[in-house]
Amino acid sequence: MIYIGAEVIVSPLGDNAEDNWQALVENRSGIALVPSAGFNQEDIHLAKIAGLNGPLRFQQLVIKVLSALEARIDASILTSDRTIVLISSTKGALDDNLHDQFSETCIAVMQQFGLAHLPMVISNACISGVLTLNVAGKMIEADQYEHVIVIGCDVASDFVLYGFQSLFAVSDKPCAPFDAARKGITLGEGCGAALVSAAKSAFKNAPLQLLTGTSANDANHISGPSRTGEGLVRSILKTLRYNDVLGDEIDFISAHGTGTIFNDEMESIAFSSLNLSHIPLNSLKGYYGHTLGAAGVIETAVCMQMMRNSMLIKSAGYRDAGTSQPLNIILENEPKKLRTILKTASGFGGGNASLMIRDL
Amino acid sequence: MKMITAYCNLRADECLVNGEVVARRDAGSEDSWFKQIYRQLDLGYPKFYKMDVLSQAGYLAMELIKKANPDITAAYADDEIALVFANASSSAETDRRFMQSYETGGSPSPSLFVYTLPNIVLGEIAIANKWYGENMFAVLPKFAPGFYLNYSEILLASDSCALLGGWLEVTAGSTDVFLFMVEERENGTEFNNGNLLHLSQTGLVAAY
Amino acid sequence: MDSLKEDLKKQIIEQLNLEDLTVADIADDALLFNDQGLGLDSIDALELIVLLEKYHGIQLTNPEEGKEAFKSIDTMAAYINKRKAA
Repeated sequence: MIYIGAEVIVSPLGDNAEDNWQALVENRSGIALVPSAGFNQEDIHLAKIAGLNGPLRFQQLVIKVLSALEARIDASILTSDRTIVLISSTKGALDDNLHDQFSETCIAVMQQFGLAHLPMVISNACISGVLTLNVAGKMIEADQYEHVIVIGCDVASDFVLYGFQSLFAVSDKPCAPFDAARKGITLGEGCGAALVSAAKSAFKNAPLQLLTGTSANDANHISGPSRTGEGLVRSILKTLRYNDVLGDEIDFISAHGTGTIFNDEMESIAFSSLNLSHIPLNSLKGYYGHTLGAAGVIETAVCMQMMRNSMLIKSAGYRDAGTSQPLNIILENEPKKLRTILKTASGFGGGNASLMIRDL
Repeated sequence: MKMITAYCNLRADECLVNGEVVARRDAGSEDSWFKQIYRQLDLGYPKFYKMDVLSQAGYLAMELIKKANPDITAAYADDEIALVFANASSSAETDRRFMQSYETGGSPSPSLFVYTLPNIVLGEIAIANKWYGENMFAVLPKFAPGFYLNYSEILLASDSCALLGGWLEVTAGSTDVFLFMVEERENGTEFNNGNLLHLSQTGLVAAY
Repeated sequence: MDSLKEDLKKQIIEQLNLEDLTVADIADDALLFNDQGLGLDSIDALELIVLLEKYHGIQLTNPEEGKEAFKSIDTMAAYINKRKAA
């Protein structure tokens, strides 16, 4: 069995999973209007962490989240030769060193925590987080490591904001995933982490079970989602089959839901063709914005909190159905026992990835 | 057994397939080195011109491997070839150009921005071949055979039947591209640490 | 050669970062958005809109108009001449 637990979230909603959970229960969003943040000094909605400024923001966040995780696990595994740290990120410390966006952070983390191996960076656009959790689980299945610490992190930058502005993909209001009036994404920053392990004893609090999944490419376009959801459908089908789980066993779907017209439409088509349209679903982007390489890890951590607290969290920003295929979008927080959940992600480069978490 | 069945090395002045030089850079040409190879291969894929250098390099090396081993495509279903790539500098070269577009060029360029992620090359190869399989891009300090060996063990234990591995380091100052195909075969070049390291250095000038 | 068309080709190469292409590589009647032409897509259409404004002072707001205008170098040149004459 592969365990996952000790989840940590550092975001505009708080420095640990519990503070983040409290904010979600109250349906508070981390998104705020930031004056003159845009390329032409436009005011832009962003989910930024207060007080995170200056150089080395990426490194600060990674160290902060790993310190918080250390307190939730048997700390002796950090320095074990049977432990590796995987970092999921798109742009890393781009603002510190354009030509070497990751290695300074990896070395600093290794030294500070006395790790036996240099952390490995996985950079697969917006599916990075879900993909990295799957890699972690599969490294343990193959007995390559006993413990894998997954950290997902991306910080806000002019670079990424201006880029999405150039694509006319940034919403002028807080993003509204799956809503009829959605106009694009809201960018966010944050860092999430979890321990994936073969040993239940590595966790101070009871872990959950990770059912690892598969990635699939759309083979369609590098920056636009497939119209048919082909890659997402293939990824979910394989993830279900690999774990011998039927669609009807899924109690909740944490969708990618970026708030762009085409992404959300693609997801509705994919879920519909898999007969998953009736399953309660949300997007967490209305709370965190799109945190890119961190999104899959932060959102999986939130799913784990939802399971631990037996509660569905409403999809922030959603009011009216806005996709061609129906979805069962969560309108209000609702107590519900969650045994098996599905987490999906899709992104630039045509990537799609999915995983499942099961309550023990 | 897992064997390396084909490989391609792109260097600053030479392009080799399975250790044989197939193209040499014409220093007198006005065309870029990658365009020279594209022309020589007569590929007829105009999207090539839109790609950034990482995607151009990955696309060309893939096409060269296919040319040397035409069976590769037909031998597998459309989701059975996994793509596992890595490099040291992510998409830094394109990141720099995108940054220039808004710092000195007037406005951020969307056609550059979409290439400011290292995994885009995987998407380009998937699109060009209509491959729906597993994809992964890692950023590592240097070429590390163990990374490919470990992850291939994971992939080939599930739905993937073959692996296209890649190391793609293309910066203003250097071109170090190594793509290799790993398949189940009875005999050939075994897919192991030593062979991978050795083949990755094909075409390197010994003087340095 | 028609100098507007020649200029357009240079501007497209510059604006779309197609520095591997030369003016001679682009035929006047090649379909820009066809995979056998230049293989452009919706992202590149954004760049072409910027190009029209930057080099020719023309604002294109109707996407349908863009679809027609951006078919080829020939249609782009005709569109620019039409807008300038109006």
